[in-house]
Amino acid sequence: MGIGQTPMPNFSETPPAKRHTPHMQDLLEFIKRYSYLLVFIALEAVSLTLLFRFNSYHGSVWFTAANNTVAIIEKAEADVETFIKLRQVNKRLTEENYVLQRQNQLLRSQIEKNLQSSTPIDSNQTEALNGYNHIEAEVVTNTNNPQRNNYIVINKGSIDGIKPEMGVVGNGGVVGIVYLANTRHSLVIPVVNRKSSISCRVRGQRYFGYLGWDGGSRVHAHVDDIPRYAKIKVGEVVETSGYSGIFPPGIFVGRIREIKNAPDGQSFRLEVDLGTDFANLRDVLVITSDYKPELDSLNSQAAANENTTTGN
Amino acid sequence: MIKLSFAHIGWFILLILLQGLVFNHLHFMGYATPMPYVFFLIILPTTTKRWVYIVLGFAMGLVIDLFSSTPGMTAASLCLTGLAIPPLLKPFLPNDHEDNETLTPSARSMEWGPFVRFAFLATLINTVCYFLLEAFSFFNWQHLLISISSSTFISLLFIISIEVIRSTKKK
Repeated sequence: MGIGQTPMPNFSETPPAKRHTPHMQDLLEFIKRYSYLLVFIALEAVSLTLLFRFNSYHGSVWFTAANNTVAIIEKAEADVETFIKLRQVNKRLTEENYVLQRQNQLLRSQIEKNLQSSTPIDSNQTEALNGYNHIEAEVVTNTNNPQRNNYIVINKGSIDGIKPEMGVVGNGGVVGIVYLANTRHSLVIPVVNRKSSISCRVRGQRYFGYLGWDGGSRVHAHVDDIPRYAKIKVGEVVETSGYSGIFPPGIFVGRIREIKNAPDGQSFRLEVDLGTDFANLRDVLVITSDYKPELDSLNSQAAANENTTTGN
Repeated sequence: MIKLSFAHIGWFILLILLQGLVFNHLHFMGYATPMPYVFFLIILPTTTKRWVYIVLGFAMGLVIDLFSSTPGMTAASLCLTGLAIPPLLKPFLPNDHEDNETLTPSARSMEWGPFVRFAFLATLINTVCYFLLEAFSFFNWQHLLISISSSTFISLLFIISIEVIRSTKKK
């Protein structure tokens, strides 16, 4: 009770709740003074509404103008909206671009892979590869020494089924022959090695010779032992003969650049522009042959027979 | 004051009837239409509140619009004229006029010169506004200009005639 009674007098002393602040009074004064303007605006609005509502001409003019205005405003709004969204669009485009680039890269590598397995062997060569299998490999080391012998190391070895004396072909044609096969890597004696000797022939003719290299440029090699009576022209294709069983017949080696006399004077020497670009060699195929063991055994038998006959 | 108001109501009705029944059907040479109804706003006493001018102008315009089937057009223009008349009237009042003093504008109370000039300005505002609203474009501006000037002239002529009749009657 006592607590409730004490604040009572304070309430009576508070100023009356309803009293306009000076600003409020100014506002009311202002409104009172210019009330006629409000009346004017209201009545003008009414008359204009009547004008536009009930006069077809004015109505149509108003409607058209209003439409145009609305169109302009909406266009501006759309522009602003587009502009604001540009960031978002840009972000999305960047993302999309990235994804597409990734896809593109993937597809390109896929195509490259597919092409690599098919280009080194053009139609002729594909045909020639019947009965032969191949193992894909990549060049790991590739030396370029004009004076000494060049060697190539590939990243496949005996574990992948690679054995010495297997043929190696690349994008441009014949690359060389496997010399040593380690478990995971193999040493290849390329065409551009003095020790290299690959049985070759001129396309369309039976005459065959051996592809050799004398040092110098890795672009040129030569074919020896072509008989002098062979009708050969510059520009004809030199291909593998397939006699050794190392390469299938018909694998592209190069084109004849020049026809010379061999050092022994008995035969022609054909200077050949090699098809394989040894300076830019990465993906190669190692050719495995089913006939190779047969041929080898026949050869060894022949050799044994020769030995026995000589021995006899 | 009351008598004055009755006189004004009489003018209100008379001018509306004149306009609706006679003047609206007059188109001198296809351009000029007399619109002397502004006379009603002109002769309102000087102490009249501004909003009264506007409301009366609107009401009068609305009724005339009903006669001429141009809803809103006369109402809008007469509304604007009602807004403009009080400040227009001030410079034409006699020099000895006090602000609180009630004065009914007339040729007698203001002299002919100031009254005609004041009437001209008020009529001009009304006609300009009316014809602008009617044309609602500046495409045919020559036609518009001729209409405005000729109508202003004819309206002023009628206002002066009415004023002459009124002043001679009162004598």
